[in-house]
Amino acid sequence: MKRVTTLLAGAAALCLASFATAAAADGHATASCGLGTGKAATGDAIKVGGINGNAPPGDFSGGTDAAAAYFACVNANGGINGRPIEYIVENDQWNPELAGQVATKLVVDEGVVALVGNGSVVSMAVNAKLYEEQGVMAMASGCAISECYESANIVSTNQGPVPSGIGALKFAIEELGTTSAACIGFNIPNNGGWACDWMNKYMASKGGRGVSILMDPTAVDLNSVYLQAIAEGVDTILLMLPAGPAIGLLKVAEEQGGRDLFKWVSPTPLYEPGVEAVLGDYWANNLYINIELNQFDSTGADNANWAAVMDAYGQDGDRRDTFSQSGYISAKFFVETLLDMEPGSIDRASVTEAIRGISGAQSDLLCGPYYVGDGDSHQPNHAGRMVKFTGTGFELVRDCYELDTAYLEPFFEQEKALGLR
Amino acid sequence: MVYGLFLVSGLAVGSLYALGGIGLVILRNSTGVLNFAYGAIAAASAMCAWQVSDWGLPGVISWLSAVAVGMALSVAYGRFIAPSLAWREPAVKAVATLGYMLILLGVIGLIWDDALRKISLPSDTVAVSVLGVRVTLTRIIAFTVSVAVVVGMVQYLNRSRTGLNMRALADNRDHSALLGIPIIKTETLAWGISGALAGFTGLIFGSLVRLEPTVITFMVIPAVAAAICGRLHSLPLTLAGGLLIGVVESMLTLYRPAAGLRSMAPFLIAALVILWMQRGEKLTFAKGA
Repeated sequence: MKRVTTLLAGAAALCLASFATAAAADGHATASCGLGTGKAATGDAIKVGGINGNAPPGDFSGGTDAAAAYFACVNANGGINGRPIEYIVENDQWNPELAGQVATKLVVDEGVVALVGNGSVVSMAVNAKLYEEQGVMAMASGCAISECYESANIVSTNQGPVPSGIGALKFAIEELGTTSAACIGFNIPNNGGWACDWMNKYMASKGGRGVSILMDPTAVDLNSVYLQAIAEGVDTILLMLPAGPAIGLLKVAEEQGGRDLFKWVSPTPLYEPGVEAVLGDYWANNLYINIELNQFDSTGADNANWAAVMDAYGQDGDRRDTFSQSGYISAKFFVETLLDMEPGSIDRASVTEAIRGISGAQSDLLCGPYYVGDGDSHQPNHAGRMVKFTGTGFELVRDCYELDTAYLEPFFEQEKALGLR
Repeated sequence: MVYGLFLVSGLAVGSLYALGGIGLVILRNSTGVLNFAYGAIAAASAMCAWQVSDWGLPGVISWLSAVAVGMALSVAYGRFIAPSLAWREPAVKAVATLGYMLILLGVIGLIWDDALRKISLPSDTVAVSVLGVRVTLTRIIAFTVSVAVVVGMVQYLNRSRTGLNMRALADNRDHSALLGIPIIKTETLAWGISGALAGFTGLIFGSLVRLEPTVITFMVIPAVAAAICGRLHSLPLTLAGGLLIGVVESMLTLYRPAAGLRSMAPFLIAALVILWMQRGEKLTFAKGA
């Protein structure tokens, strides 16, 4: 458990402020957060929760890491009109039983006003109903299952596999000449099954053909998965997989000399720091990835501030990935929302109402306005960018673009009702 | 032609299952322990090999470190934990190794964060075409080593003094002790051989499949299935079982309704073999242990 307490924030403020100053002197941008007063908040703490999944087989702590860094920065800069945020983070270790326990602890025992930066797909599936019953909102940051986007009280800043995957296919159809695609995903109904179904519908809507190739998450025989794609006779492979198995599949394809047999596209997971060292030159200029947020090295104000906040307030070992960007932006919108509230009136009910009232929030990390609203499902981030793997990094090949898919129609209706479309 | 593709692909993966199964059977033949931590030892070995390589040391040191770490972790358990369970039932011995597996998995998670890594072997870039499938030298090495280990270990167990000691231990530990067989020394040797194989298997898995500790750890499941095909005793049948599982898993891909069930293949084949072995009997694994 990681607590950013009032006292800690106060004691750390001077150190952090001096560290931030030193970072600025070294050429890094200076972190800018909340009220920007440079004075530590000392009032009554506002309890906020966060749940991540960090245990084998994966570390989804980037969102809560970034939110913790941003909240520490806010606390060192006047807090929420004088009140510091006490950010309580729990790790459910991908264990459904533990996910239920830690959510109950945060929501019922600790009485948090909201959850921010959540990055556990297990927790989201297990606790969506609890959040609704308890009237607490989760401004999540890292999710890849249907429950994240089909629940009234969860709004995730990352796109998840469906918009990002469709974004990759749209690019492939329009720029690479794709007419048929195999969606290779995990054989998990609310993840790979759900996402690949939507990929196939999208391909059909464009007059093409889509097939799902679903594999066990711990599958060893990736060669057969690759051969199955060959047997399907498709011209494009969409890697609807986390980075590790996606790279395993690319390695098998490399073994078989398969780079030129297909067009290779992927949603965001393959856009991860260090991927260039693992993939090598073979895939240079032959692998296209849809990214849900902006490039890690983009010069936009929010992206630069994300990096500065992580430099100044992050911990050693904090991840700097898409989930981290997403956690930063979730925390930023949350803080901006709280700053508009009367400090004395901040409780769960008022915070939930205020979060639902978010509409039209802007960030250079996103391609469109962020909103929440009163809907039973939320998908504020659905327009992305496309990058090409160059062998040594990534090159932007298409900036922000919208998607035309039946999946997004309910969300477009929400946006029309809010005057955002 | 397409069947040939999947046959070759299945044999390549099956040889990895067999390699794991052989290491399990060698150990069980001499100590009576079914080592569920085999995959975790392989994972730790693979991660250490990557670490040594990441430090900039030559590849050969990295590969040898995988084998050395596998041996060390296996012998550590065999020397310091297993003897205190020597008189317990086979199931208790096996479950204890599950605990060791969880400890190793936890330690691996503590040492190495969830970042992208890979092990590249020089043999990855050399390949021959078999029935339309490019088979890398690494896969050929995995297959060849599987067969060589089976042949070598069968000869070793049947013809050498220490091999005889191992077989005697597996049959009856008490009687072996009374006969003056150096139990600790013999068992340590068996744990060492099994650990070396685990280290090698982890290295090959890390290169051929992916360098993810969890995935390598749980390759023990098809490896156990392969070992069960060999009745947890026969090395040639374990090799055949591993190859069969790999081929069936691969071939199921061709039949779309069954393609999603491919991961069931090891369990299904192991269950069928157990049923076949148990015909007319009540106990399979406790017998003679």
